[in-house]
Formats: sequence, structure tokens, C-alpha cells
Amino acid sequence: MANKLGFYFNATVCTGCKACQVACKDKSDLPVGVNWRRVAEYTGGEWVTNPDGTCEQNVFAYYTSIACNHCTNPICVEVCPTQAMHQREDGIVMVEESKCIGCRYCEWACPYGAPQFNEEVGVMTKCNFCHDYLDEGKSPACVAACPSRALFFGEIDELRAEHGEIAEIAPLPPADITEPNLVIQPHHNAKSIGSTSGKLINPEEV
Amino acid sequence: MQANEWSLIIFTTVMQMAVGSFVILGGVHFFATRRYGDQAADALSDRALLAIGPVVILAMLVTFLHLGNPLNAPQAISNLGSSWLSREVALAVVFTIGGAIFALMQWRKISTLTVRSTVGLVVAAIGLLLVWAMAQVYLLPTVPAWNSPATIVTFFITTLLLGSLAVGSAFVITYQYLRSKGTLPNTDTQFDILSTTLRWIVLISLVLLGIQFVVIPLYLANLAEQGSEAALASISLILDEGGALFALRLILLFVGAGIFSIFMYRTATSENRTHITGYLAFSAFAFVLISEILGRFLFYESMMRIGL
Repeated sequence: MANKLGFYFNATVCTGCKACQVACKDKSDLPVGVNWRRVAEYTGGEWVTNPDGTCEQNVFAYYTSIACNHCTNPICVEVCPTQAMHQREDGIVMVEESKCIGCRYCEWACPYGAPQFNEEVGVMTKCNFCHDYLDEGKSPACVAACPSRALFFGEIDELRAEHGEIAEIAPLPPADITEPNLVIQPHHNAKSIGSTSGKLINPEEV
Repeated sequence: MQANEWSLIIFTTVMQMAVGSFVILGGVHFFATRRYGDQAADALSDRALLAIGPVVILAMLVTFLHLGNPLNAPQAISNLGSSWLSREVALAVVFTIGGAIFALMQWRKISTLTVRSTVGLVVAAIGLLLVWAMAQVYLLPTVPAWNSPATIVTFFITTLLLGSLAVGSAFVITYQYLRSKGTLPNTDTQFDILSTTLRWIVLISLVLLGIQFVVIPLYLANLAEQGSEAALASISLILDEGGALFALRLILLFVGAGIFSIFMYRTATSENRTHITGYLAFSAFAFVLISEILGRFLFYESMMRIGL
């Protein structure tokens, strides 16, 4: 299947304002605790003592805005016992709520935390790429809301041709598990996956 | 992220116990039939077989508590092509129905012994496949604490260990009950079956206990070696936060499957000490059951996913 949709995230210009997260929440009217798009804050650093006895810090921080990556190899679709989790021709991974049993197995499996359980309706929900907006020729709510123009969407082949193929930086998981349709322009302080030099400091938000 | 799911703890432990009981009971019945004939073999094992039924039904019902939308439950077998969870559910349903058919045939003595044995063998095989599928469900590449051969080995140890000790307890209770009622046919033969069964169950338990005590340190060492943030967090959840429960689990397992079993091996052959054998069999079963539930609790507690 060619022409799959994906997101491009430019970490060099993201200010961590979370407008994308809020726009997403507003557009899909998500309840407390359910956030289809989230912004991970990854920071680290320490004090370094110079030979002359002075101290300097090398603190760093950067943001990663992440939603569902509508992966080429979506583990949620693979493990779902009901086929409620399915992938459309254009690559969008969606939940068919009338089939979902709310077992939350996809939530265990997805390394991006994309499928999220909605307690009110008892089924899984997730980013649907604002497919209704796409049909109207509009951008997804998160992309439209970004004031820094850090977030774009498009056909993944074009995004990769233009911006490269990087899809894994800390604190994201290795890309080979699900082959996410995601392109990242890394921040100049970006650490490689599995790095222990920094840590996710807003785990309750992601 | 933690998956503190009591319904899953009960379902997996109890279903594995049911499969194990079915398999062990089948083995006991096979050897008892060869030595004493099928009528003598049926006396103790038929009642034990019927006891598995309610246990399986309880396990199946508990799973509904895990679902956010139980009304859609029949959809759970719609993805047999790629989802181990779907396969697990399907095999659990087939095992339940197959077990019920076999129990009915055995209870009412429907058809010949050969046909019944064949049905029993098929149901036992489905049960073991079910345990295999249960383990596969947890082999997620995104959860290091679960994605280990130890998950498969431990599930089968739970199956056979709880199955053996449950059958042992059921046999002693049935033997004492039938003897006190005076309806036990040929007491000497039945006692022979009882003591031989118990002694084999002790040997099986000791072997499984040995394997478990090798697998646990290997599993933890392997997890530590992986060194990922999720793997280390899982170890901490088992050894630090869950440390007291983990220690209790190991002690209960050792005392139940080890010490009580060894005493039972000694008392099993003495007919006037059946009541002591009964206490030992039941204590061993209870200790190991609690240990296995604690172990399964820690298994779910240790769930840490890589990534976000």
C-alpha cells in the first residue's frame, strides 16, 4: 500500500506549548485521562567541575509531540482479538467501537501508548488522523494548531524524501517494532533511544 | 504502567489448575486402569473429574470482569489469524465444552472405554495448547518482563503443579468420604491407588519445584542483563516493591511443594494415617495455590512497557 499517511515532527522548533495536545482533545472531545496526542518532555544534564574549580551545567531538554504513528506494522492491529482495531487503505489505524470488547490488550502492546481506554464508553479509542477533516480538505487539528509549525502531515514517502527517515529518539521506542509512519527532525540535544543520560519528566502526561 | 488485574490473575491461575488437574487425572486413570481395571480406577477419579467443572466455569465467568464492554465478548474470537488473545479465548471455550462432554460421558459411562479415553486425550491436548496460547499472549516484544521463555515454562509449572496437588487433595478427600460412608468398593485396591497416586504426585511436585527454583534466578538475571529502563523497572517492582510478597511466594512454594510433599510421601503408604496424609495433601495444595496467585500477581505487577 503506497501513499500511507504519516506525521512529521520538527523538534528543533517545538516550544512544548502543547497546543497540539489541547487542539486534539478539544476536537475529539476527549475525557480526562485520555490524550491521543501527547508531548513528552525529555531532560537531563549535570554539573561539571572545571580544572579551575568553577562549575558549569550541561542541562538539556527537548520535546517530542507524539500521537498514533499509524504504523506500517501496527502491533495493536496484530494483537486485537476482535479486529475492532483495523488499518484503512490510506494507513490510518482506527478502532471500530461496535466490535471492541475493551480488553485493553492493544494498550499493553503499543509502545507509543496510542490506544487509550475510555472509561465512559468501555472501549478503546485512539487518534484517527482527523479523517473527517482530511475529507474536507483540512489539516488534522494538531497540525493546524501548532504555532511553531513543528508538526506536519502528509504521504509518508514524500515526508521521508523531504525530511529524512529518523523515527526514533529518546524517549521513543525502537522503530523496528512497529515501523511507525513518523519522521522526526531531531533537536540538537536529542539522545539516542535507550539513552540513560536523560529521562522523561512528565510520565503522568504521556 | 501496571496491570493490576485480579480477574486475569484468577482466570490464568485457575484455568491452568483446571487443565493440569485434567491432564494429571488422565494420567492417573490411565495407569490405574492398566493395573486394576477401569471400574476400580473410576471410583476416585470420577468425583475428582466432576470437581473440575465448576472451577472452569468460575474461571470463564471471571474473564468478563476484565472487559470494558462485555456485551461484545463473542467478538473476541474474530482474529484467530494473528491474535494470540483470540486463540486463547477460542481454546478456552473449546476446552470448556470438550471437558464438559468428556465429564458427561465418563459420569454416565456413555460409549466404550476406548472412545472415552480418546475424547479425554483430545481434550487434554486442547488444554495443554490452551496453556501454550495463554503464555503466547504475554510474549509481547514491548514488555521485557513478559517476553521471556520463563513465561511459558512458569505457566506450565503452574499447570502441572497445581493440577497434581489438586488431584492429590481431591483423591484423599474422596477416599475418606467414600470410606466413611462405607460405599468404597474394595478398600485395599482403592488405598493402593490412593497411595501410589500420592507418591507419584509428590515426585512430580519435587521435580517441578526444582525446575521453578532454577528458572526464577535465570529469568531475573536475564532481565537484569537486558538493562533497558523497562526491564530494570520490572525487576525493581518484583524485588523491591514486591519483595515481601516475592519472598512469601518462594517460601510457600518450598514448604508446600517441598516439605509437605516429602512428609506426604512417607505417610501415604500407611492406611491408619490417612487423615494426616489428608491434612498434608490439603496444606500442600493450599500453600502452593496461594504461592501461585502471589506469583501471578507479581507477574502482572511487573508489567512495564518500553517506549511511552
